[in-house]
Amino acid sequence: MAKSNSDLVMDPVFDNNPIALQVLGICSALAVTTQLSTSLVMSIAVIVVTACSGAAVAAIRHRIPSSIRIIVQMTIIASLVIVVDQVLKAFAFKLSQELSVFVGLIITNCIVMGRAEGFAMKNSVKDSFLDGIGNGLGYGLILMVVGFFRELFGSGKLFGITVLPLQSDGGWYEPNGLMLLSPSAFFIIGFFICALRMWKTDQIEEA
Amino acid sequence: MQQDKKQKDINSPINVLILAVVLCVVCSLVVSTAAVGLKSLQDANVALDRKANLLSVTGFEDLGSADDINKLFGERFEVEIIDLETGQPAVEEAMEALSAAGKKMESPEETLTKYSQVWASKSKKPSVSAQIPKGEDLVGIKYREKFSHVYILKSEAGDVEKYVFPVRGYGLWSMMKGFLAVEPDLQTVAGLTFYEHAETPGLGGEIKSPKFRAQWPGKKIFGDSGDVRVQVVKSAPDDDYSIDALTGATITSKGVSNMMKYWLGEEGFGPYIKQKKGTSAETSMVTQGDNTNG
Repeated sequence: MAKSNSDLVMDPVFDNNPIALQVLGICSALAVTTQLSTSLVMSIAVIVVTACSGAAVAAIRHRIPSSIRIIVQMTIIASLVIVVDQVLKAFAFKLSQELSVFVGLIITNCIVMGRAEGFAMKNSVKDSFLDGIGNGLGYGLILMVVGFFRELFGSGKLFGITVLPLQSDGGWYEPNGLMLLSPSAFFIIGFFICALRMWKTDQIEEA
Repeated sequence: MQQDKKQKDINSPINVLILAVVLCVVCSLVVSTAAVGLKSLQDANVALDRKANLLSVTGFEDLGSADDINKLFGERFEVEIIDLETGQPAVEEAMEALSAAGKKMESPEETLTKYSQVWASKSKKPSVSAQIPKGEDLVGIKYREKFSHVYILKSEAGDVEKYVFPVRGYGLWSMMKGFLAVEPDLQTVAGLTFYEHAETPGLGGEIKSPKFRAQWPGKKIFGDSGDVRVQVVKSAPDDDYSIDALTGATITSKGVSNMMKYWLGEEGFGPYIKQKKGTSAETSMVTQGDNTNG
């Protein structure tokens, strides 16, 4: 059962990706991915929260009464999310305004809760911390992929820098408005899952 | 056997209580430390954001760094505090009223930068705010502050280029706070921007979208009899007063409409506008436009 450190981090990125395989946490993946910069900040925020909450839950796992364990996990996660939100407001005000409620909604992100309950309650502090980083990275990877395609094809930019000059600014590229709307994230996640399962065929579920 | 006993201990009611209390104390300590420790940085960000919003609602684009914004704002904007009832400048009065309400200001300058009308309204203290009679509270603030900021954009030669009024009102979920920029004739809207709201993203949140904002410049505020006519309505008629409501956000749109009605009316900046129009009529009778009805 013991996994090496690099397995703990890398497993959730490709082999057991929280969005692609477990299909958790896709709600926020739709909302914040119209730009790469917001996707990146959101990914970092989720990595920090899953890693720290995992470690905190693991540290007190022997003392948590099972009757209130979910509430204990929620309290820890919620506190961490508020701290992250405060830090963003202090150091990245513009981005925190664009992310608006979605930073707060990390509290309800199933990935964070899922890892706290599914992994951190049974494993050591260090393993839980690494597992949190791994799952955060897995989530972040998808966010970045979706953000890349949505920003590139939706507004012809990457990180706010023009890559495909828009027709409205005298260029040649006609932006795809669908990319700016939430459903496009579903399509891109779908294609990503498809590509991933073509590469790692053992992830294909039996019909 | 021993394992079972230990498990029982952890699950005993007294243990549950202890853990819950300790956890809450620790978490609240962490959260409050972060909130208090970062407050000054956040406040600076908010102040800068207000200035950036004031500049953008009056037509400045590509604002650049924080220093640029502060510099441009300092050069071009004049900040006033007025008595909403009389429409007259009232920095000294505001200072006195604030100290009576327990918020001591050292100088008129400090009052100008630090006065918060939202605080004044929420404090419900009689020296700085007054209760709005039932049925007249279109914007959901319950108490209206007695003093308000007015921001005046001046050209380099010192002529008034725009007036900016702080406006706010309740939408569906939240208090929407914004700035309304008006041309010097005090009849034509120059722009509207919101710097704070928590309406549904994609629906009511569209009050911040370029498409909604683009409808405002050029709209007329007052009708012939001096009533506030600018409004947000569904399938707006193609006239000088109407702005098309947001799809799927009826209550937010209504909130914005009420906000205009309240803050541009007698309870809001009406007296100030009347008084400004009056003085401009005296000094320049000849250039008076046909659309000013004081």
